[in-house]
Amino acid sequence: MLSSLKLLDLMSDRAESIARQWAKDVVRNSKTPYYHAVDQDEIIPQAVEFYQKLSRVYTDKDPFTSIRNFVGKFAEDRFQEGIPLPQALYAIVLMRRHIWLYAEFQAIFITIVEQQQAMDSLTRTILMFDYIAYALTEKYEMLIKNSTKKDKR
Amino acid sequence: MKTFAAKLFDLIELKTEDIAAQWAKDVMKHNRTPSYGSLPEETVIELGVKFYRLFRQMSLSNTPYETAKTFSSDYAEECYEKKIPLQEALYAVILMRRNLWLYADFQGTFMTVLEQYQAVEALNWTILMFDYVSYQITEKYHELIKGDADKKIGFVKMLIKDQPFGEKKSADKILIMFILLLGAVILTYYYHSSLATSTVFTHLFYIPIILASLWWGAKGIFIAVFLGIVILVSHTLFLQGIPFTDDIIRAVMFIVIGVVLSWLMGNVKKMKDIYHNL
Repeated sequence: MLSSLKLLDLMSDRAESIARQWAKDVVRNSKTPYYHAVDQDEIIPQAVEFYQKLSRVYTDKDPFTSIRNFVGKFAEDRFQEGIPLPQALYAIVLMRRHIWLYAEFQAIFITIVEQQQAMDSLTRTILMFDYIAYALTEKYEMLIKNSTKKDKR
Repeated sequence: MKTFAAKLFDLIELKTEDIAAQWAKDVMKHNRTPSYGSLPEETVIELGVKFYRLFRQMSLSNTPYETAKTFSSDYAEECYEKKIPLQEALYAVILMRRNLWLYADFQGTFMTVLEQYQAVEALNWTILMFDYVSYQITEKYHELIKGDADKKIGFVKMLIKDQPFGEKKSADKILIMFILLLGAVILTYYYHSSLATSTVFTHLFYIPIILASLWWGAKGIFIAVFLGIVILVSHTLFLQGIPFTDDIIRAVMFIVIGVVLSWLMGNVKKMKDIYHNL
């Protein structure tokens, strides 16, 4: 767990730089066409907030509950903006990819020990994002069901 | 990248059934995938085997994203038919990846320093492939949900379209409405002043009332109010001595129909928003 702290520091200290890289990517990626019409400066704050919140729950003993809370709010906002679930999910995938790309670019894992740390960090990050994907999908499905129910009433 | 991950692919080829069986045990008990618990174990294992075989195929393909499409589509259709919620179907795929990795770890596939380096590369490649599959499954699920919604809402779908009854510019709509209203005023004048009757022709007024509600929603009520006023004023001017009751009822009905249609169109708009969010 401790070995993943390097990545955690990077995520909280450089949230804005990583978010900028992500924004550049998401507005061009073919799997996130909704974002193509969006201004990059508008979406950077949501990614910064996301990275900061994630870095806070990274070392929690039960990160799933905390993730469910903050991702629930994130999903609600994206749903209100009209972003389809597959694209919201892929935008999250890109967020994860950019943490890693940034870490690689900054060369924070060089030595043999650091390679081991890289492996641990990667595993922990993947676990966090697995929870995020689940929480995001669950919330979206709930929001779609709720809006359909309200409409029936 | 694929050279580094070769060890992992060899393992998958040799132990597909074992890894799938291990995954089946996990997914059938996991608290985030309760729907899988009620499926027959053989069915679940078969799903796992199909997936791990696909994973091997993806490793050999130059276009792994395209290779994954058939599997993702079949998997999503199968899960959707079995009424498995999307988040569970996705988490089951996450568990497939995790079990693949656990199996490799358990078998001591990556031990030395060089192998550790290979492990990071293999893990990165694995994640990329799983990202593709997850995206495709979510996309297919939403296609299926939309397809179902299309079947259920049928006629309403036509109203959900941005421009019901053909694409009309705002200026065209105003022109059409103006012509219809002018026709209504002339008809009212003719029937009231020349024929001294108010029967039958007022049914034609429902055409502009319906169109106005479809095009402008709540604002369309003004057309109903306008037509109500037209027949009441005309009655006052040309049908003196004939009781007002029938025309008052007609005018009230115009407004009631206008209000009901506007309310329905408001709901159709909400459905449209939901439909676009799928």
